[in-house]
Amino acid sequence: MNTHIQALKLVLARMRQKMLSTFMISLVIAVALCIPALFYIGVNHLATFSNQLQSETEMSIFLKLDTDQTAINALKESLANNEAIKSVKFVSKEEAWQQLKAKVETNDLEKNPLPDAFFIQSKSAEPAALEALKSSLSELPNVEQVLLNTEWVKRLSALLALGKQIILLVAGLLAVALLVIISNTVRMQIVTQKDEIIVSKLMGATNGFIRTPFLYAGMLYGLFGGILAILMLISMMWLFNLSIAQISSLYHSDFSLPIYDNALFIKIILFAIAIGWLGSYLAVTRAISSIKIN
Amino acid sequence: MIKFDHVTKRYPASDDVLKNVSMNIDAGEFVFVTGHSGAGKSTLLKLIAAIERPTSGTVLIANQNISKLSESAIPFMRRRFGLIFQDHKLLYDRNCFENVILPLHINGITGLDAAKRVRAALDKVGLLNKEKAMPITLSGGEQQRLAIARAVVSRPSVLIADEPTGNLDASYATDIMSIFQAFNQVGVTVIMATHDALNRYAMEKRVLHLDHGVLNQSEQK
Repeated sequence: MNTHIQALKLVLARMRQKMLSTFMISLVIAVALCIPALFYIGVNHLATFSNQLQSETEMSIFLKLDTDQTAINALKESLANNEAIKSVKFVSKEEAWQQLKAKVETNDLEKNPLPDAFFIQSKSAEPAALEALKSSLSELPNVEQVLLNTEWVKRLSALLALGKQIILLVAGLLAVALLVIISNTVRMQIVTQKDEIIVSKLMGATNGFIRTPFLYAGMLYGLFGGILAILMLISMMWLFNLSIAQISSLYHSDFSLPIYDNALFIKIILFAIAIGWLGSYLAVTRAISSIKIN
Repeated sequence: MIKFDHVTKRYPASDDVLKNVSMNIDAGEFVFVTGHSGAGKSTLLKLIAAIERPTSGTVLIANQNISKLSESAIPFMRRRFGLIFQDHKLLYDRNCFENVILPLHINGITGLDAAKRVRAALDKVGLLNKEKAMPITLSGGEQQRLAIARAVVSRPSVLIADEPTGNLDASYATDIMSIFQAFNQVGVTVIMATHDALNRYAMEKRVLHLDHGVLNQSEQK
């Protein structure tokens, strides 16, 4: 136990001496961690978002422009009596026109180009049932077009699944890069401390005694890199939320990224420490057997 | 304590450095190893300190056969010895105190106990006032004394010194010799290699003389 505290103190003192290079190495590690983490946060959030959307069952029914009031009333009645439909909301072309005018400058348009529309909620969220309802509604008189709002969501979630696989790949590649960076850094330290290693071996130091400080160095690089990566992620997400806030207010959405994802942060740090340990273990094991005292 | 039985040492692509050496060193002895340079003095010391293993023959240290020790047992065997080299092998990136404490850390001794022992060792070699100094600022004789402090701080039963006075002028050399004398008087076995006959001018010690790897078993003077 004492040996470990001693080794940790030694490593921290050395790192304090070489503050700048320690910071640089941590920064490299942090950037390498940040890239897949950022992708992960983005894709993950879009995925929950799209799952939410997918469970929505709204359909839009747009009527032909020349539909008269009696036809609309007839349609309204038939929709209200449809067993598969949970709720019906009618938006007349005048209402839609007013809403549009309220939001956007529409002086260029002299005539209302909008159709009357029904927005309905299906009782079932089954894709097959939705599909059947959609085709039956399309065949009603005066219906121009029926839009199932979830179709693009399905495509999005398929893309997101692909995105997740790409993230795994990128993360794997960057993990290898991190391993090389850390083990190279530790190897360079071993070279500069060769005299110390030789003297320690002559005095009867075990391989474990020699290895311990380097393992701590590797783990500390991982820890510092991980903390730095998290700070970078937090500030990037904060900036992103700031700029997205304007856009989402235009869309009446409160879309924003969660800034503090503690489970993810802990994973990043543990992963970085583990990579740090492994990288320095590989370097120091190879070095110990290559440094001969005789 | 230390027993060589028909020991031969050969390095790859070289002649035998030691040829059929048999000898015995008892606990508490003060032994000189002499010979011209390249006679095998350093190799003999390395065999004693378990840094090298014999090509043939057996080296027994405290009744343990060095050739048969496992790789993981070697470090513990080495802790019985305090090693002193001609080139000191001090670590120049740390001060005197930190140099001397290293063997204690290797032995798992830390904290106040370690600090006390470091100061005691520095005191014995007359460097107590230099504990914060960097080794590079010390004179050659002081550096060698620092190396001795480092060698004795973990209280080894055997001191092995390879030409400890080789680079020093006469007055420093006398200094160093008297320090070794003092340790020998309290029971520490001292084995010292030297090519310089002057070093044993005032002492009547046993001499192991090597000539091209052949040991001329010495007579007790």
